[in-house]
This record gives sequence, C-alpha cells and structure tokens, in this order.
Amino acid sequence: MSIILDQFTRVLVQGITGKEGSFWTKHMIDYGTNVVAGVTPGREGQYAAGVPVFHTVERAVRNIPVDASLLFVPPRFAKEALFEALDAGIKKVVILCDGIPLHDALQMRKAAIDAGAMVIGGNTSGIISMGQAMMGFFPYWLERVYRPGRIGIMTRSGSLTNEVTAEVVRAGFGASSLIGIGGDPVPLTRFAEVLPLFQADPNTDAVVLIGELGGTMEEEVAEAIEKKIFTKPLVAFLGGRTAPKGKKMGHAGAIITAGKGTVQDKMLALRNAGALVAERPRQVGTLLESILTSKI
Amino acid sequence: MKLFEYQAKELFEQIEIPVPNRTFIKGLEGMAEAAGQIGFPCVLKAQVLQGGRGKAGLIKLVSNIEEASNQAESIFSKAKNMSGLLIEEAIQIEKELYVSITADPVTGKAMMMACSEGGMDIEEIAKDIPERIHKIYIDLSKGIQPYQVRGLLYEMGIDEKLIGQGTKILQDLYNVFRTYEAELVEINPLIVTKDGKLIAGDGKVSIDDNALFRHPQFKATEAYYENDAEYEAAEEGIPYIQFDGEIGLMCAGAGLTNTVFDLVNDYGGKVANYLEFGGPNYRKAKKAMDIMMKNDIKILLIVTFGTIARADVMAEGIVEAIKELNPPFPIVAAIRGTGEEKAHELLRSAGIEPLIDTEEAVKKAIALSGGVKQ
Repeated sequence: MSIILDQFTRVLVQGITGKEGSFWTKHMIDYGTNVVAGVTPGREGQYAAGVPVFHTVERAVRNIPVDASLLFVPPRFAKEALFEALDAGIKKVVILCDGIPLHDALQMRKAAIDAGAMVIGGNTSGIISMGQAMMGFFPYWLERVYRPGRIGIMTRSGSLTNEVTAEVVRAGFGASSLIGIGGDPVPLTRFAEVLPLFQADPNTDAVVLIGELGGTMEEEVAEAIEKKIFTKPLVAFLGGRTAPKGKKMGHAGAIITAGKGTVQDKMLALRNAGALVAERPRQVGTLLESILTSKI
Repeated sequence: MKLFEYQAKELFEQIEIPVPNRTFIKGLEGMAEAAGQIGFPCVLKAQVLQGGRGKAGLIKLVSNIEEASNQAESIFSKAKNMSGLLIEEAIQIEKELYVSITADPVTGKAMMMACSEGGMDIEEIAKDIPERIHKIYIDLSKGIQPYQVRGLLYEMGIDEKLIGQGTKILQDLYNVFRTYEAELVEINPLIVTKDGKLIAGDGKVSIDDNALFRHPQFKATEAYYENDAEYEAAEEGIPYIQFDGEIGLMCAGAGLTNTVFDLVNDYGGKVANYLEFGGPNYRKAKKAMDIMMKNDIKILLIVTFGTIARADVMAEGIVEAIKELNPPFPIVAAIRGTGEEKAHELLRSAGIEPLIDTEEAVKKAIALSGGVKQ
C-alpha cells in the first residue's frame, strides 16, 4: 500500500509531448504507473508514449476517467495548467517545475484549498510509491536509494532526499511512498497535510521528514504530533543547521529571517513533540533501527 | 530582487503614496546643488541594501552645506556596494508606524502587518509583544477591501483623523505589492507628521525573482551584490555565497548543499564559499569552476546526488573544466545519482578518486585543507 498514488491511479500528463514530458512518461509507464492520457493543445488524435493525447484536460476527462494529473509545463504556465485540471474536477495534481512566480503560487494554493484538492509541488521531483507507480522523475533503477519498504518519506528537497533515502536503505529499510512537497516558499501541500495520510496507511510504520531552514512547516509537524494527529514514530533530518542568519541559501524557501525558521528552532520544536531528530543523514538510519524491529 | 530605497520611493510616488521631497545622486558631484534645492535641515541616506543603516552611520541629519559635504564624503567612503546617496527633506515626526505586506504560504493569501510602534525596534516588538502586531489577510482574487484596512487601522488604535489617509495609503501599498509582484513591501517608519499627515519615511520593496520576466524594467547591477564572484554567478543564475574559510563547496541542490555545509562545520572545517550548480545549472560545471577559481581556496569539495541533474553530465563538465582551466587546488568529489557509473569513469580519467560517501568526502576535504581549525 501507499499514499496518494498506487498502480491503479489513472494518471493524466499535461504537457506530455514536450521533451521532458515524453521522456519521463515512458519511464513512469515502465515503472508500472497507469498513465491513461496526455494533454497538449493542437495534438489531439496523436499518441505519446503509447497513450492518447487531447487538446484540453476537459476533453481528456470526458473520454477517459482520470484520478490524478501530472504537470510538465514551464513555471509561467503552471497556474493556468493547475486551474485547468481543477476546473475539470481532478483532485490530485503534481507540479514539477521550479520557478513558479510567488503571486501565482499564492493563487494556486488558495484555489487548491477551495477545490479540496491535493496539489503537490512545485519545485519537486514528484511522488513515488515504491514498486508501484511514480508521478515525476526518480532514477528508480538506483537500488541503493529506491527500495520498497514501510517508511513514509516526505521532503522539501531533491538531491538531499537521495542522500537521506540511501541512508534509510543502508540501514536495511525501504520506503512506502516518497512525497516531494517541493522547495518553493509556497508549497501547495504542506508537510502537516501529508501526515494524516501516512497515519492512515497500514503499510507505513514510521515517517522520515527531510526539511530545511525557513518557513514554519516543520513546526506544524511538531504541532500535529503534539495534538496526536500523527502518532507513528517520526525521524527528521534538517539541512542548514549552521547556515548564517540573513543569507539566502539556495532555495527561495530556505531563507532565514530574524529569529524565525532557523533549523535550531525547528529541531527543538520537533524534539519537544517527541520526534527523533538526526544531526547527520547517516543518523536517520540508526535512529530508525533504534525504534523499529521489523525492517521490510 | 531587493530594490534600493530611492527606487521603492519612486514606485510609491507613481502610485500616489506620499513620500518626502528628495533627490538621488550617484556621486559627490552635484551634492551641494541637490542639498540646496531640498533645503536645510535635510537627511543624507546611503543607498545600500543592508539593514541597520542608522546604526552603521549611513544616515545623517545635516543642517548646513558644510556639514552636508563632510557627512556625504564620510558616507561615500564608508559604505560598500552603494548605488548612491538620497538627499531628503527632514520630516517633523510626531509618531512612527509600521506596515508591510508579504505572502502567507499557509492560506495562499497576502498578509498585511501593521503596528502603531514602528521604527528601529520593530523586530524586538514582534518578538516580545507580538499582540501589538495586527494582521489582515487578502485574497488575491478579491483584492484588498477598504473595510479590511479600516479594521486594521482601528485595531492599531491610530488617531481617527488619520483613518481616511491611512486607508488610502495601505490600499495603495497593496497595489504596489500586486503590480510589481513583490515578495515584500514595507514602510518603516510610516511617519505621522507634526501637522497630522502620513508620509513614507522609508521604503522596502523586494520583487519576486521568479516574476522578473514580467517586469523587465528591474535589472540588477553590480551594486546589488556583495562581491564580483556573486555578481558573476548571479548573471548565470547560479546561487553563490562568499564565506572566509578554506574549503570551496560546489554542490547540486540547495538541501544537499546546506547539509554538506553543516557537515564541514561539524567536522571542524571552514567553508570558503558555496556554489550550487544543481537544477537548471547542472550543465554549467565549467562556469562554476571558473567562478571558484576567482577565490583563494585550498580545496574544492564537489558533492552531488542528482536525478535530473545527471551525474555523468556534471562529471563531464568538471573534467572539461579541469583540462581547460587547470585549477590550482586539489578536488574531492562525491558525484552520485543518474548516470553515476559513467561519471565515476570520467573522474578516474582525470585522476580524481570518485567517492560514494558524503561524510568520507567531507572528512577528506578537511584533511587536505590543512586539518581541523580551532
């Protein structure tokens, strides 16, 4: 089992005929993902990666039932593409692109809340339910990283996720679902909104959170643990503990401003709530070993 | 992209937010004439992007031409990365207020914050007495409503006579936020003058970098960056930060870069600089190496674990850079992810041992940089 996505989820790909869209759609299908259709204006009647292409999302869903949509569109078109998916009634959307304008992201977050939809991204590799399906780009052939198991993983980062997940696997564990909520300052789904899904999933024994400096999402996770919304073990690793204040370290989401959003604040909040916090990626594996008896 | 105060005030003026009379000069020439036009007393304000200008002696009240010349000279010699000097009429201050607008990622709305005690100590107030900061949330699709702003001003407890002006200014500030797609707009202080008017004493506007393609009038120059390497990296779209240690960090992905930064510090090393060539920059290894060579680093530590940012493409760029640029420092590399087998072959061909383990790479780099620093 898994959350959000499994091998039965009927996936639409918006922007399927683009270079990245067609390349990764093939990989998604190879991995087992149930990709049922694609959308590219002007290309209806054609096939891409073996699935039919439609002019609009509305025309696609009228012909083929769809559960989720994956957006392979440039950041400046992400808002419109999301609105198109939501207007067609799709309730699960994954947006991969990096660089969505902030004011667009705000309107997208508001629209997702109003539609009662789960919209993941942007600035993410996507989501993968190990051994079943993926929406996004993951080098699933790297066995050192992508191994099925019972650990839920949620992350704000891409390359750090590979680093930490490799440590989870090194310790003998594997992942149920890996949810990349993305590195933007306005993630369209927040960590604390993913937690209830992992809580409800009988095949997830514990969650690994990969966070970083900036924002308040890790603090919200601490609150969810305190309020017993999430009661399974949680191991967190946060990058940027020694980052100097006031420096913008990479991600737009990773900005430290006076006294707020520092990694120290977040680590303290998580520890006070009862989460285990790793100081280094390697410790994520050893902390999991210390609390879980069954590995796979 | 942060704007300088003089630019923020130009935007305010266009949208009819009251601002003081002022002149902007780029150098000392024309100072006397400009100050004469504004009249005395006037205020000299260094146009730099850093905060705390008052405490750094970069804002001076002057009462005659001689004082103005001396202080202007001192400011020009003291300030770094200064775009120029703003000469502004001195305002008779009754009270200082605070107002700002930012994005609220939780609700997906704009958040306006205001406080009746503005000025230099706003951060302490926000920390110690947060209930004095009043907030309203604005739905971008509805826009700002006058009743929201009136409500905010009444909560702040400001004088009834200022409600009309205040409502207009705060709505106009929201228009600046929306029109230029800012990530932050701030007026601190929003001055209540002795004669009962509101006027923007300072102005901060930071435009969302991801929206700059819709606002091509804003173009960053060297004055926006702390040093040449940062400017050159920014021109390429490469995140770069300067520190003062020995180990140059070239990593892919902000999360991993921050983590390697932590590991170097934990194991007793010192970071010289931080360059991120992941995401869309993974084909720019050569340019990245070129920027690293502008610094006096003892060792270069490269750590990546890429997905789309293919390991083989990055390794190819690095090997090419080594051949063409001949960097004077040793290189420690842990390049993993998509295409890593080929990446490792490439590194070996250039005489670099490909490492798999991040911690091992960090420790090796520290040892080569001269060991643990006290």
